Formats: sequence, C-alpha cells, structure tokens
Amino acid sequence: MIWVWIAFAPILGGLAYGGERVLRARMQRRQGPPLLQPFYDMFKLLDKRTLIVHSPHALLAVAHFFILWFSIVAIFMGWNLLYIIFLHLFAQILLILAGYSVRSVYSHIGANRELLMLIAYEPILLLVAVGFYLESGSFEISEILQKGGYLTSMPLLFAALAMVIPIKVKKSPFDVGEAHQEIVGGVEIEYSGIFYEFLYMSRFLEYIFIYSFVFLFGGVSSWVGTVLVAGTFLAVNLVDNATARVKTADMLKIIYSIAMMLCIVNIAGIL
Amino acid sequence: MKFFSAFRKKSPWVLHYNAGSCNGCDIEILAALGPKFDLERFGVINTGNPKQSDIFLVTGPVTYRSRERLVELYSQIPEPKVVVAVGSCTTTGGVFRGMYNVEDGIDRYIPVDVYVPGCAASPQLIIDALVKGLDVLEAKSKEIEHPFKLFGTIEMIGNKLSRLNMAKKVEQHEKN
Repeated sequence: MIWVWIAFAPILGGLAYGGERVLRARMQRRQGPPLLQPFYDMFKLLDKRTLIVHSPHALLAVAHFFILWFSIVAIFMGWNLLYIIFLHLFAQILLILAGYSVRSVYSHIGANRELLMLIAYEPILLLVAVGFYLESGSFEISEILQKGGYLTSMPLLFAALAMVIPIKVKKSPFDVGEAHQEIVGGVEIEYSGIFYEFLYMSRFLEYIFIYSFVFLFGGVSSWVGTVLVAGTFLAVNLVDNATARVKTADMLKIIYSIAMMLCIVNIAGIL
Repeated sequence: MKFFSAFRKKSPWVLHYNAGSCNGCDIEILAALGPKFDLERFGVINTGNPKQSDIFLVTGPVTYRSRERLVELYSQIPEPKVVVAVGSCTTTGGVFRGMYNVEDGIDRYIPVDVYVPGCAASPQLIIDALVKGLDVLEAKSKEIEHPFKLFGTIEMIGNKLSRLNMAKKVEQHEKN
C-alpha cells in the first residue's frame, strides 16, 4: 500500500499545485485554471521539441528530480529525519550546479539566490528535527508519529517552520529564487521541453516534502496533522497574495533574526 | 505523439515581446492577463522565457533596433509555436507605416498565424486571437519553422539542430 503512495507522489503534489492555483485565483476573485492544469502542462511539455544546452545540464535536472523523489520515499517509509533533510540538500545542490553550468547570467543569479535560500531554510529544518528528537527521543519518523502533543510543547518551532515554507514552495514574500519578472525563473531558464518537465514535477515534490514536516506536528493523531497542513496551506497562499517580494539579503535577515530566535528560545525551553 | 497533441490547446504559455510599441497594446495584454479578463482560465502563463513558450505575442511596428531580437526570440521558441501580431502597428505598420525607422509589421521577418487589429487592440480581441491561435497550435506539426530574414540556412551538427550557430549568424548580421 505504501508503495502506491510513493509511486503516485508526483501526482499528489500536482493536485496540490493545481488546487493552489485555483485557490489563489479565487482569492483574487477570478475563475482560475482547471484543477488538472499542472498535468495538462506536463503533457504539453512532452509534446514540445527539446532544446539542450549541454548534456550534463539536462542530466542534473533529471537527477535532481529522482533524488528528491527518493527523499519523499524516505519520508513515506518513516526513515530518519536527518537523513531526509540531507538527501533533500543533495538534490538542491545538484540543481545549483546545473544553474552554474551554463553561461546564462540569469541562471547564475538564480543559482546564487538558490544557495542563499538554502542557507536560510536549512538551519531551521535541522532545528525542527532537533526539536522532534528532544520531544520523542528519536529522529525516526515512524517513532515521532507514535507520540503526540508536539504543537503544545514546540509552538515556536512550528511558527519558524511556517516562516520558511514560502521559501521552499517559492511564494511571496520569499520568492527570490524564481522571481519571474526579474530573473525569469533563475536556474530554470535554460531548460525546455521534457527536461523542464522534470523541474516542473520536482516542484510538486517540494510541496509534499515541506508539508510533510507540518504534518509531523500532528504526531499520533493524523486528524490534527491534516488540519495543520490545510491551515498552513491557506495561510501561505493568503500571504502570497498579500505581500510583495523582499530582497535576498532582507530574506536572510528576517529568517535569521526572527525564525532562528524562535527556534533557539523553544529548544532552550524544552531543555 | 497524437495523444499529447490534444493538450497543446490546454496549456499555452505566452511570451510577450515589445518591438517598439507605444505600450498601448502591452497594457491591454497585461489587462487581459490580469484578474478582470483572466486569461489564466485557459491555462495561459506569461513565462517571459522563449524556451518554455508556445505563443509569441508581439506588439509594435518593428523598429530597426528590435529586428535582431525579434528574430532571435522567435528562433529560440521550440516548435510547435504560434505567432500572434497584436495591434495595427504590428500587422501593417499602422500610423508609422512608411517611416524611415520602422519595418511595417512583423510579417516581413517571421511567419504570423493570427493578426489582431486595433489601436490599441482591446483585451476581448486579444483573448479571441489567443483562442484562435490555439486551434492553429493544435493543427501544427513539429517541423522547424524559420524566419524570412536575418537567418540564412539551418545549421546542423551531426543530425542535431544547432541553435547556437544560428544565433551567432544573427549576431554577425547585427555587427555588419
């Protein structure tokens, strides 16, 4: 049964992405695209002629997608949380390498920003994992899900995690990595056709990755987890519609001054 | 593949280029993409990246400085692709027709599939033109289409198309 979920993880993420586009459209009082729009986009990209800059560049996108998928496998199988975070880091570094491997200036700026985003959210994810360890006595997801009451013992860690979600799913105010009007997609810029599709699908997997961290806060009760995920999803989209993009340096300052402090205060409280 | 061709119609991604327009048509295009007219309900995304686009929306009468960019952007869009000329200037030259610094419309340089009249073209007309362009897009094959001028022969390396060599040729033309 669990393998079915793993195999359909990109489809699940695609539905989340499609639902999000509809939700954002409704928040702006417009009709918006159909729910299955991400899949239409994927099928269309399969039908396009593909332009390749050089083959390692294309290969890195494919590798990025599959390693990301493997980290989702690790989440669904209930493996070690630290292992999952570092697998995700590895996938992200492949994408950054791809960004630096072409001559496009926008791609280089995008890769720089992607690195700075990595520096911003990675410590928070690790501190959240440490918080789970202190509460449940294990880094294993299967053991973390045996206990409950994480939300009452580490609310500040949850707030910090909620602050880094927009970075990961590339939403305002922290969408510097993609920044469509400014650097035209950053590291994605030189991809087309089927290789762009791998990056497009890895965005679906990012949704599952980051929202599964939110789900962990529900602990043993999957109802609480589901409600938390839905609530965070709504809040992130509301903030996305209501705010403008901040600069990369400001993003780092905000995350390091506020989210990091929240994490440290909460962990000090637990200790 | 035949199965996937049906989905071209459902997700047209748009590239918008201003070839010396007065910004009237550009504002109307942005209005069509905005919440009131909501082009996104057809699955349209304004990508701004030629390599990921299907529909090329051009405004303006093609000034001398914008010719090379127009041709280069067009040749960077992977096939199948559709060109929509938005506004009187782009279709015929409009009020600028016959002036020394413009080229009287884009169809001297690249093949155009849909023409939109109007100065400035209204958002309703632009939506109609895009929907018309979708039919053209669905019927097209993946044959290489190339511009009429500033382009020359198709460059191949082995049995693969070399866009770099073709782009270099456009650059060479620009220098002369």
